[in-house]
Amino acid sequence: MNENIKHKGRIGQTFIYLGKLLRMFVYQSDWKVLPMGAIIASVVTFVVGANLFITQEGTLMGAFALVCVCIWNGFFNSIQVVCRERGIVKREHRSGMHVSSYIMAQMIYQFMLCLAQTVITLVICNLSGVKFPQQGIITASGMFDLGITLLLITFAADMMALMVSSIVRTTTTAMTVMPFLLIFQLVFSGGFFQLAGFAKKITVLTISRWGLDSLCAVGRYNELKMVTLWNTIFKFKDIEFEGTKPLLDVILQIQEQGKVDDILYWSGTYNTRDAFVSTAENVLKNWGAIALLTFIFIVVAIIALKLIDRDKR
Amino acid sequence: MIQQEVINNLNILLEWTLFSIALQRVLRKMGGEKTWMAYVPGLRYLALSERLDMAKDGVVCAVLDVLSVLSVLLNLTVAFNVESRLALAVSLAELVVVIALYVYRIRFFLALIRAFDMKKRWIILWLIAEWLALMIIGFSKKYQPVAAGKIHEDWEAGTAPAEIPGVRSPGGRVMSNTGLSVDLRERTVKELFEKRYLLKDIALDIPNGSLVLLLGGSGAGKTTFVNALIGYEKADATVLLNGADVYKDYDRMKYRIGFVPQQNLIRGNDTVQHTVTDAAELRLPAEMPNAVRDEKVGEVMDLLGLTAGADGLVCKKSGGQLRRISIAMELVTDPELFVLDEPDSGLDGVIAREIFTKLRGIADEGKIVIVITHGRLAFYGSPQEARDFFGKDTMEGIVMSVNRREEGGEGLADECIERYANMTAEKEGVRA
Repeated sequence: MNENIKHKGRIGQTFIYLGKLLRMFVYQSDWKVLPMGAIIASVVTFVVGANLFITQEGTLMGAFALVCVCIWNGFFNSIQVVCRERGIVKREHRSGMHVSSYIMAQMIYQFMLCLAQTVITLVICNLSGVKFPQQGIITASGMFDLGITLLLITFAADMMALMVSSIVRTTTTAMTVMPFLLIFQLVFSGGFFQLAGFAKKITVLTISRWGLDSLCAVGRYNELKMVTLWNTIFKFKDIEFEGTKPLLDVILQIQEQGKVDDILYWSGTYNTRDAFVSTAENVLKNWGAIALLTFIFIVVAIIALKLIDRDKR
Repeated sequence: MIQQEVINNLNILLEWTLFSIALQRVLRKMGGEKTWMAYVPGLRYLALSERLDMAKDGVVCAVLDVLSVLSVLLNLTVAFNVESRLALAVSLAELVVVIALYVYRIRFFLALIRAFDMKKRWIILWLIAEWLALMIIGFSKKYQPVAAGKIHEDWEAGTAPAEIPGVRSPGGRVMSNTGLSVDLRERTVKELFEKRYLLKDIALDIPNGSLVLLLGGSGAGKTTFVNALIGYEKADATVLLNGADVYKDYDRMKYRIGFVPQQNLIRGNDTVQHTVTDAAELRLPAEMPNAVRDEKVGEVMDLLGLTAGADGLVCKKSGGQLRRISIAMELVTDPELFVLDEPDSGLDGVIAREIFTKLRGIADEGKIVIVITHGRLAFYGSPQEARDFFGKDTMEGIVMSVNRREEGGEGLADECIERYANMTAEKEGVRA
């Protein structure tokens, strides 16, 4: 018996599993996540797409909705992928499978899914008439920057779900945990809900916070119009003061002079946020934070799955 | 206000005392020592869990019990600012502990109901007044535990199972360098800081080319033994496979051992061909040329009758085909030791027989095939004694004689079991 027989290494095994996953994409119902992602993106852009990247309010709301879409897509892509075949993984692990190869194959496969979903989301946004930022911050194209951000958020959420799927033992547990994670991500995004103190500090642990900051930075939030002030003044236009309507007079004067947009942009300068500043440094910081979280999720997934032999029969 | 608090605390103290007295009585009824543990938070659930064979629940419940007592003491000694975040966090933690403890207590009480063979409706009284329900169980002569003492007495900590006649005693023996040689001293687990034997004193030599059936009822330890045998769950043992130490060199040896689990753990949404080929790629030597590997895959699929429909999805296959795919995934790697956990489970007699015929063929190639299967002991002895006992010349003949008639066998299983039991009893009588 040859004592030095070598078997497939980690890279070789990664490709075996990747091939298996790609075949299963065709045979299994995994492909359904793509049309599902398209439907979700359509609904969201239909509701919030009109003012996305046009006004500060529309951008914040739309960016938050896009973050939700990405996290939802990412979670659903992989929340069950490991736990549903845990018995199989255990069998293969005892036969020589490297856990890191298995997770690496899942990563590559999931990245492809996330990429496809990001492209679909961008296409849907485009078809819905969303006006993308013209000038990019990192790349030459604003749409390309937006695409990278959406991809990073989706992939990070995907890896988070993969981590959960590697830790829990049944699909039932995974599906029970998922809503909690989703709510945590949404509540602690930090941009949409006003948080303070310790709750605000927690936001650094969420994909949604960095994703929202990144989307608003890429969407040049701080340079956009703010409409809330104008709309509020407009509501009070008929208030009378000593027989006159001073607010209406001012509004009409501004409209006659064609300075409405100037007022909106001017009011926007009082509504800027440091987290949304459109600089390469800020965008890269946000992307880096999402990448770091993704890395942590992957490491935890590998460690958790390496303990699979401890599962009871 | 203060008076109300004092009354509340006295109430808690009274309930705790009554509960402890009742629990001590229950523990005493169930046997064993250290009934004073009923008065110590945490330990009381450990004592109860030991008697109810609920070791893990006992540990969790003990921790929760201690935490709950600590939270009561904390509330008595520390005056929290009701609006502070710390108070909120403590209250939340208390709530979680109380809920979890309550659930575990329900589990324990249901186990007590079973242990004392009581009606389930007793749980209603328990929900109203836990101490009262325990008092009735503890003090009423009407209620006695169904089986006094511990469950599984033979497997009690510190004792070994009864010696099985015919098994050689291990330790210090010369082990064979060919075939499979096992010298298993013990396989134990620690439960509640106590050692419990799962396996003890097993020594055997199996020559290459053997097909060995491992028989035993559910929970007899068949799979535990096999997992120890192949090094997956290590025991205090020495296992040599053709001279190589399975334990010391497990990373290399695992490729020389094939294990087919009881369940068909195969991905359904891949083709049969790819499933077997991937298994071969993962486990065969990396330098093996693709053509040789593909030839091996083809041979195994032919042997197991999987070539027709190889491009079909695994999920579309029948139970028998799934079993054969599962076997093929291991067999394709040409293992020296081939272990199958109930390969006939869920299959009809004809397919089961077909699989056993294939396994005999695999053993005839010089491999060792160990098959775990259910059943009562129909016979134990050497191959020659088996031939004499069953009146058959081959293993297939023996299997056929105990198989049911509707499966194509002779249906003599019950007769053999009875005959062997009588034979053993006679021997024991002579020995006594």
